[in-house]
Amino acid sequence: MDSKQSSSTVIPDHQPSAIEKLVAFLDERVGLKEMQAKMLNEPIPGGSRWAYVFGSILLFIFAMQALTGILLMFYYVPTADHAYASTQYIIHDVDYGWFLLGYHFWGSSAMVVCVVAHMSQVFLWGAYKKPRELLWLVGLALFGIVITFGFTGYLLPWDQRAFWATTVGVEILDKTPIVGDFIARFLKGGPTPGQMTLSRFFVLHVMILPAALMALAGLHLFLFRVAAPAGPFTGTVEEIKAKTDYFFPRQIWKDMVGMAFVFVSICALALWEPVVLLDEAAPDPGDYHPEPEWYFLFYFQLLRLKLFAGEFGQFLGAVALPVAFMVLLVALPFIDKDPERNIFKRPIALISWIAIMVVIVLFTVASVINREFLD
Amino acid sequence: MLQPKLKSKVRCTDLDIGEVTKVVLDPLSHEISHIVVSMNGSGERQVAMGHVQTVTDDVVQLRAPSTDILALPPFKREDYVTTHEVEISHLEDNLHVTPGEVLVPLPDLEKNVKRRTFFMNFTHVIGFLIGLPVAYPILRFLMKPMYADFDNHWLNVGNVSKIKQEDVGVQFKYKKKVKEVYMPESEVDKNVWILRATPELLEKVYHDKDMEFRDAKGKMLWTNKKDIPYVAFSGKCPHLGCAFKWRQHKTLGQVFLCPCHLSIYDAAGKVLDGPAPRALDALPVRVSAAGDVEIIDMEFKAGTKSQIRII
Repeated sequence: MDSKQSSSTVIPDHQPSAIEKLVAFLDERVGLKEMQAKMLNEPIPGGSRWAYVFGSILLFIFAMQALTGILLMFYYVPTADHAYASTQYIIHDVDYGWFLLGYHFWGSSAMVVCVVAHMSQVFLWGAYKKPRELLWLVGLALFGIVITFGFTGYLLPWDQRAFWATTVGVEILDKTPIVGDFIARFLKGGPTPGQMTLSRFFVLHVMILPAALMALAGLHLFLFRVAAPAGPFTGTVEEIKAKTDYFFPRQIWKDMVGMAFVFVSICALALWEPVVLLDEAAPDPGDYHPEPEWYFLFYFQLLRLKLFAGEFGQFLGAVALPVAFMVLLVALPFIDKDPERNIFKRPIALISWIAIMVVIVLFTVASVINREFLD
Repeated sequence: MLQPKLKSKVRCTDLDIGEVTKVVLDPLSHEISHIVVSMNGSGERQVAMGHVQTVTDDVVQLRAPSTDILALPPFKREDYVTTHEVEISHLEDNLHVTPGEVLVPLPDLEKNVKRRTFFMNFTHVIGFLIGLPVAYPILRFLMKPMYADFDNHWLNVGNVSKIKQEDVGVQFKYKKKVKEVYMPESEVDKNVWILRATPELLEKVYHDKDMEFRDAKGKMLWTNKKDIPYVAFSGKCPHLGCAFKWRQHKTLGQVFLCPCHLSIYDAAGKVLDGPAPRALDALPVRVSAAGDVEIIDMEFKAGTKSQIRII
């Protein structure tokens, strides 16, 4: 059509400034304006909503994790004899080191919270259904990457908390039939956690996972743009059309408010709950009671159940249960072919989601209550 | 019906009113919903496809008289974006503003190339030939430190004078020298639990049999005699590898308790409660005449019914 005509609406009554000339120069070669227009002018069926903010927030959190992570690497040394001391140096000696480390630490929690919120929103809105199956699958891969980020990052400070979370976490992977021993040794780079483990987790955390996350997040966004947003799960075509707006400005405004809220929350946590290291990592925990990061507590508590006792029980709890859950999530868009997206007309989906959330909350609370009885 | 073409003449029931200058797509159906007509110099009008009676190669015939079309409000360009400025996938798939497809000629050298499939497959083969020889070295490279020989040295962990009471778990902390590949030698803190056992407890631990320990090749390392009253348990919980403690339990009395997943063992190492799949791991232990305790530091895989040594 006539895109050339429309994109050249220059107001001729003033001389273009240097910046305008530069923009025009770039635009002519790169097509910036068209690119920007395409990014911003994406119709959102049924209009912008607060429920849609989580994807953008996750991108924002990742950008901040990358920034703070790169800064931490200026001082951090990933060796068994220096990791702890260099982390302490960041916390106690480097100006604002405590803040950047605290931000990175709490940012990882925010990431997990927002991933779960994002997945819940997509699940409840039925947005994983045809034609968005691939979008859902790539999202699940990203979920796995975020969890692995948390797990690998947890070891790096090389304190007792770090050491024991890794020891137990890798033992859980070790329960995989046939390949478990290989996987556990491969991750640890030996029979027990040590320098090789630290090196491997470090490379995973700062090279492999960020690259994988960026690539898959790019694919996720691409697939999202190809499939277009799903929109609300109720309303006629006319109603939805009447409320439709573009990504810019209303949705971007909501996303920005969400990002600001998350930013302030993370800063507040970094201020009031700064990272305090325990003793340096050692195969003797002293008085420390090993415990994973709070978002794994429910699973930690779950593994205490009698149901998961003994060798077979451990296989059930450590391997079968999480694998079955992930397989179910992967298969979800292919099993659930009913085009109905209204969550109030999908009782199984609604009840399952509530049940999972209740289990997570109950078991997390139970593990916190259990702490009192251990001393 | 053909789709209206740009520059086609637009004809009302009474006279020609101009030509098609733009077409408008419906963002949901992706079909042409309106045409924009130039009106021979009196502004542009946006005409719904409902007004269109027939479309031929160069003429769009409307059902309405020209006065009706002229009475429509002027076309407002600012209410629209071009298809290049909006992200609606497959928007232009249905669009054939010109009959037939838009074509680009092949360069001369690309005409009549018969072996496209061959070259495509050849590319895959070359890629495979590059990938294959590096895959195995990469795997071996990453596997290098995974398997290490067992260390069967005796380590002094303390003196039995520390044990005041029989059948009570006493933690002995010791330092172990570790030399991990290229790293400087360092000392790590470890711990082992030693009990001075009554004959009843010894019976529960050893079941009236000496306990033999062999190295990886099956050569005998040491035998814990069933009547030597000192028992050593590895500090690693056989459930998932945490470190257990000696604790007073409300109903079970004094027990070994792992704070991680709450496995509970009696003084003989037997599982009383919790998820552990096997009893605590007894280690080779010897006590000198002066009361110095020595052990061989072994670690076994957690979570298995049988003992599988990893260190």
